[in-house]
Amino acid sequence: MLNSYLPAIVFLLLGGVVGTAFALMNGIFGPKTNRRSASKTSPYECGLPSDVQQGFRFGISFYMIAMLFILFDIEVIFLYPIAVKLKEFGAFALVETSIFVALLFVGFGYVWRRGALSWR
Amino acid sequence: MIAAIKAPLIDWSALAPFTSLTVGAVVVLIAGLVGSARLRSWLVPGLALVTLAVTAVELLSRWNHPKVIVSEALRVDNLTVTLGLLCVGAAAFAVILSLRSDTEEGVGRGEYHSLLLFTTIGMLILIAANDLVTIFVGLELLSIPLYVLCATELRREHSLEAGLKYLIVGSVGSATLLYGLALIYGATGSTSLPKIGVAISDTGALTDPLLLAGMALAIAGLSFKASAAPFHQWTPDVYEGAPTPVTTFMATATKAAALGILLRILVGPLLPAVDDWAPVIAVIATLSIVVGNFGALGQDSLKRMLAWSSVAQVGYLLAGLVVATSLGIGALVFYLVVYAVMTLAAFAVVIENERTSDDGERLSGFAGLGRRRPWLAGAMTVSMLSLAGLPPTGGFIGKLAIINADASGGWMWLAIVLVLGSLVSLGYYLRVIATMWMTEGSAEKTPVVKQAREIVAVALLAAAVTIAAGVLPSWPLERAQDVGQTVISSR
Repeated sequence: MLNSYLPAIVFLLLGGVVGTAFALMNGIFGPKTNRRSASKTSPYECGLPSDVQQGFRFGISFYMIAMLFILFDIEVIFLYPIAVKLKEFGAFALVETSIFVALLFVGFGYVWRRGALSWR
Repeated sequence: MIAAIKAPLIDWSALAPFTSLTVGAVVVLIAGLVGSARLRSWLVPGLALVTLAVTAVELLSRWNHPKVIVSEALRVDNLTVTLGLLCVGAAAFAVILSLRSDTEEGVGRGEYHSLLLFTTIGMLILIAANDLVTIFVGLELLSIPLYVLCATELRREHSLEAGLKYLIVGSVGSATLLYGLALIYGATGSTSLPKIGVAISDTGALTDPLLLAGMALAIAGLSFKASAAPFHQWTPDVYEGAPTPVTTFMATATKAAALGILLRILVGPLLPAVDDWAPVIAVIATLSIVVGNFGALGQDSLKRMLAWSSVAQVGYLLAGLVVATSLGIGALVFYLVVYAVMTLAAFAVVIENERTSDDGERLSGFAGLGRRRPWLAGAMTVSMLSLAGLPPTGGFIGKLAIINADASGGWMWLAIVLVLGSLVSLGYYLRVIATMWMTEGSAEKTPVVKQAREIVAVALLAAAVTIAAGVLPSWPLERAQDVGQTVISSR
């Protein structure tokens, strides 16, 4: 039984060794300074000084739009396989897809009417 | 070139309860967008009630017509019909009980009722599930709208707290169940419940630690939903914080759905492993009875007390499951229905008292209720007596049936635990009755709030059904036995 777990154990050990090595190497080979310089404590942003001020808040609309985008975007993915193979699937799939799209439109109408798309 | 794919065969008539609820939920959501608030206030609950009524009729028409549909994903049999009707009824009463609550202040009327219908679909799917994947889909469809429903009173901190607590604990429960289902699949090589049953009896996989671990995790996961001890810690806080109509719905329908699917898994494919799971269920039942009854003793809030009492009631119900005979399942189904009805009566009274008096859901708010509103106090009295298991109520007959099944199935000690637990429960049920009838108090709200006739009607109806089930128990008991018979024979 233990034999079948051997690859997993090797993987875990290897991962642990490599991870620890990389974490420790910085301390061993890097410049030895204890100074907490400003660039060390600020958020890392592609190596450039950060433009974002502390206490800056994103508007709630960003989250709303992003969430709705992901929802509708992923739902569209379901249409691809049917679009590619519609001939083979036949009328059944067409009806099913129409119902699916109709439900999507209901969701879209709901989101619109409830004002989730208007910028605040 | 691939040959044309054949369209699957769909039995529309057996699928009708599921489709009508789905269509209804979408229509209700759209109806919530109507501009006029006056129109909304009766259109949305009206449409929700019509949807539930249609679903109930469609379910009733499937009685004694068992059928497996959607390529063996759903099984519409007598168990599905009975517990489905229970859930649909609980949803309908939740709509009626929340007619006067100000959902517009919170999430909005359309959303509230639509979520209620969606969680009911989840319950139906869960009860009818014939496949491990369907079980999980049903459970999530049940849970996610319910998390939101708990937090619908957006302006009240306790409601939000309840929603968040339920979300976190419920997710742990779902994850546990999913892990268990995955292990069962790993041990048997199939997700279909009948095929799992065949695999277990063919290979004799009973001693497979994978299967045993999977079973334990699945039982634990479903115990979270049914709030059986030791997985009950969330119950008092969530029941107290959630809007009371939602609490009513959770206490009745969610429990029925969770126990229904537990019944379907354990007495279905896992019946050969009965010697492995019966002691586990017996221990959970005992813990629930002890913890629930002692937890309820010191409660001052009626909602919290009913939450603890519901933990104890799940213990009684699980004591019926332990036996795994048609007698035990019949007793379980009968008591489940009676439990739902008497809980409905109690919560309806709490809702009405909350509306009309200052500290309505505290015990002190019930002081002198017998003098002020004898009908309401009468309904509460019947409900408390029935929950305690005193004759001539349905609760007495239900407990008797479970004790009878336990005694005949060789679980005498569990029957004794059940009786002792009921004795302890008199301590808090009778306290409510004594407070209502034997103490003076005028907790009337000033200015006086108009009484809600429909809520009183629900309370009285539920109390009447509770007594009817106690006086004329033979017809419902026989139907419950039918259900038990179909569950046993369908495997």
